[in-house]
Amino acid sequence: MSAIADFIVRARALLFRGREESEMDEELRFHIERDAQERVRRGESPAAARREATLAFGGVERYKEHVRDARGTRPFEELTADIRYALRGLRRNPGFTLTGILVLGIGIGATTLVYSIVHSVLLAGLPYPEPDRLVRVVEKNSPTNVWVLSTADVVAIRERQRVFQEWGELSRAEVAMSGSGGTPERIQVARASSGYFRVIGIPVAKGRPILASDETADAPAVMVVTDAFATRLYGTADAALGKSLSLDGVSHTVVGVLPPGRDELGGVRSALWPALKLRPIVRRGPFWLRGVGRLKPGVTIEAAAADLSRISAEILPLYTDFRDSTTKLTPQSLREAIVGRAVKQVGLFAGAVALVLLLAIVNVATLVLVRASAREQELAVRVMLGANRSRVARLLVTENLILTLSAALLGLALAHAGLDLAVSQLSTLPRIQDVTLDWRVVALGIGAALVAGIVVSLSPIAALRSRANLASQATGRRTDTGHRTSRMRAAFVVAEFALAWPLLVASGLLLNSFVRLQRVDPGFDPRGLVSVGVNLPSIRYPDDAAIFRFRALALQRVADLPGVASAGLTSESPPDPQFGNYDNFNLVHKPVPDGQAEPAVPWYYAGTTWFSTLGIRIVDGRNFTDADTAAAFPVVIVSESWAKQFLPGESAVGRQLVQGGCYDCPKTTIIGVVEDIRNLGASLPMVAAYGPLTQNGTSSFEVVARLRSATPANLEALRQALRSIDPELPLVESTITDKVEASVADPMRWAAVLTAFGACGMGLAALGVFGLMAYTVRQRRREIGVRLALGAQPGAVTQLVVSRGMRYAILGSAIGLALTLILSGRIRTMLFEVSPTDIGTLAGVGALLLGSALLASWIPARRASQIRPMEAIGHD
Amino acid sequence: MPPESAIVQRTLEMLVLKSLSLAPMHGWGIGQRIDQLSKGAFQVQQGSLYPALLRMKRAGWIKSEWRQTENNRRARYYLLTAAGRRQLGTETAAWEKASEAVNAFLRTTTLEDNA
Repeated sequence: MSAIADFIVRARALLFRGREESEMDEELRFHIERDAQERVRRGESPAAARREATLAFGGVERYKEHVRDARGTRPFEELTADIRYALRGLRRNPGFTLTGILVLGIGIGATTLVYSIVHSVLLAGLPYPEPDRLVRVVEKNSPTNVWVLSTADVVAIRERQRVFQEWGELSRAEVAMSGSGGTPERIQVARASSGYFRVIGIPVAKGRPILASDETADAPAVMVVTDAFATRLYGTADAALGKSLSLDGVSHTVVGVLPPGRDELGGVRSALWPALKLRPIVRRGPFWLRGVGRLKPGVTIEAAAADLSRISAEILPLYTDFRDSTTKLTPQSLREAIVGRAVKQVGLFAGAVALVLLLAIVNVATLVLVRASAREQELAVRVMLGANRSRVARLLVTENLILTLSAALLGLALAHAGLDLAVSQLSTLPRIQDVTLDWRVVALGIGAALVAGIVVSLSPIAALRSRANLASQATGRRTDTGHRTSRMRAAFVVAEFALAWPLLVASGLLLNSFVRLQRVDPGFDPRGLVSVGVNLPSIRYPDDAAIFRFRALALQRVADLPGVASAGLTSESPPDPQFGNYDNFNLVHKPVPDGQAEPAVPWYYAGTTWFSTLGIRIVDGRNFTDADTAAAFPVVIVSESWAKQFLPGESAVGRQLVQGGCYDCPKTTIIGVVEDIRNLGASLPMVAAYGPLTQNGTSSFEVVARLRSATPANLEALRQALRSIDPELPLVESTITDKVEASVADPMRWAAVLTAFGACGMGLAALGVFGLMAYTVRQRRREIGVRLALGAQPGAVTQLVVSRGMRYAILGSAIGLALTLILSGRIRTMLFEVSPTDIGTLAGVGALLLGSALLASWIPARRASQIRPMEAIGHD
Repeated sequence: MPPESAIVQRTLEMLVLKSLSLAPMHGWGIGQRIDQLSKGAFQVQQGSLYPALLRMKRAGWIKSEWRQTENNRRARYYLLTAAGRRQLGTETAAWEKASEAVNAFLRTTTLEDNA
């Protein structure tokens, strides 16, 4: 068959249907007239000739139909008829249509959005060439104790490794940037070695990359910047090349610009990438570098682990300050290193959304089924009048397709609109900025809804099978037919309740745990506490003397302000769950066994007025004094939790320890024990050690003041006091109350998201039971009417309907409870002081769900009790 | 679908192709020509011509155009295309081969032993 000729004929027939028809009429009319003419010529009378011609033709209308069939456009014409009919049906039932589209649309939208996030955050490969060969190398001595590398480590790896094609390091830092016009600002930078860029495999777009020669101590300071940064500051990437900016007082020249859109390399997001200069090796520590490598082709991560393990063993004897032979340089896939932490949270999120989508589908299925059952009579009449059964099925499926596709459109619009919101709300997730809607996910959601819709819409067709049924359905005197469909409806409603359970329990548990988190006493009064972060540029504050002078002056001026009740200095104010400064120690009288890891705890440095400013009591020993200088013996104050953990049953004061693995240094003496505070945040342990700032020359610290009242004037006075010492200093201020709130922001967000899902789930389940009971009442109208006419009390009728609805809800809840208990373990790590099987939460969820079921079935039940018997019996 | 069986339909198509190979003609004329050429052997139900013509048009064997008849009436004339001419050749050859085989079968008088 010639495809082109076929297409032309069919397209013409479809597009110019009227003309095609009239031409056919004309052709057939001509035939008969011509035939009649011929017969007249042979001597028949005109009337007889016409009759004979028509007879010979053999039924004009019949052959017209055959011609129409031969056009090959039947399927299209029937389809448009189906669509027209389906649209009419949907319009006639706006309640059904809107509910269906909304429920399914929200389900599809939420799923699409969430799985797009899951896809970009967890599943998609890293956006670098051959990302599977990228590994991150860490120091590790137990599955949970993992930390970064030291200069000694990376130099050893550079010199001794045999598995990496490229090797590089990076260190993140917060610096004061000035020279861009305007006031100096604090900015995060990523100092990277030349190897780092080669490992990731992203070349600069303009200028030159960082070179090995930039990494020496006396080389001029250079940096690579992002295209966005260059454009913002200098207009174009080209214009940025050769320009200089001051970072912590050191002038850095821009030598290269990254390709547009690229502001993340190896899981680190930064605008500025200065060349990394390694600090000289004095001992095995300190650990401050992120190491990444690109494996040689064909080298496995196991081979890399073996090679790095060899290096760990080789360098262990070289340094006396580090004697832990269980610590190994360990490779991990870079992708896992980046996304690892997010898996748990996103997994919970995705699970919740899957449940919501499933609920939405089941709900729409119930709706479709209820509606299809209500139309059984109409369908039966159609079949009895000779409609093809498959044609009727097609009609129902078409209706469903239209419903589902509208819902899909709505879902897409919702997902699109929700994308920005989600990205801003979940900004702590890695790679969240890269999220785009995933079309495969969209297709999956629509596909699932379609299959569900089609299967469900076909069930009433199956019910039309027997002739006996047909007759009874066609007359509307249905008695016990649709048993199958009514069982299916009941099963759907039961399933909805079962699915809603885990959703509501998860949100209940998270809410519960959030409330408990908020009730946790931080251990100090955060009201009125303001912290100003200071980072002294090394060029103007080159030595400890200059730094100490600034600290003393700053503390003095701030404390003298009339609005300030008291002021103190600290390396880092609480609470901070991401706190990074851990130090290891070994008790002199109770050392850990040889070859084992020394304990590491959060180690803060504080001034003499720190504890009094925060209101932390000293419970044993003494506070720091001005006499605790670098010249005196090193001291430390520990928290009560620290003392309880490491020196149970003995007095901590007076005990000595080796700090930071430095066995040649003077021993550090414990001089005091202070009250616990929630230094890491509400849900984390309160073990902490405090060294005196007077023995630590850090140039980065915070001035913390307790204001008499947190008025703008007082804040401004605080700023002025510090500016009066050094007007160029970049200052970052925050209130401790904000920090306390920020430390529970994440749990709050997850609780809020899950609660929204839980509410959706409950609403859908209630809608399901409502729809079913309303339908049942309509179906049994006559029967209820008879009962009422025979003297049944309206209350008894209400009870009848409600108890039926509650039976489904209770059965569903039993299944849901079992499902919840099976899944409960998964949420454990996200909870705080709440058991995953918390009885209160389970009981609350049960009460909530059954309560909503009660309400949802009571409304139709009440309508049933108000049926007027005579109307109902006389009905149809 | 029209009621004719596949074999009847194919025969009809062959007859139409043959009659159009002589000269373009309208539907009624095709019927008349088949009648004449077959000396009344084929009784074509006249109405069944038209679905067949449309199918052949979709197959690309014939095309149609409106022309004036000798009596100055408008009628749809059918013309053979190149593909139609080829099809006629194929059909004729196939037909001859098939009828040859059937004839040979019917002329068989002795039973040959295959064993």
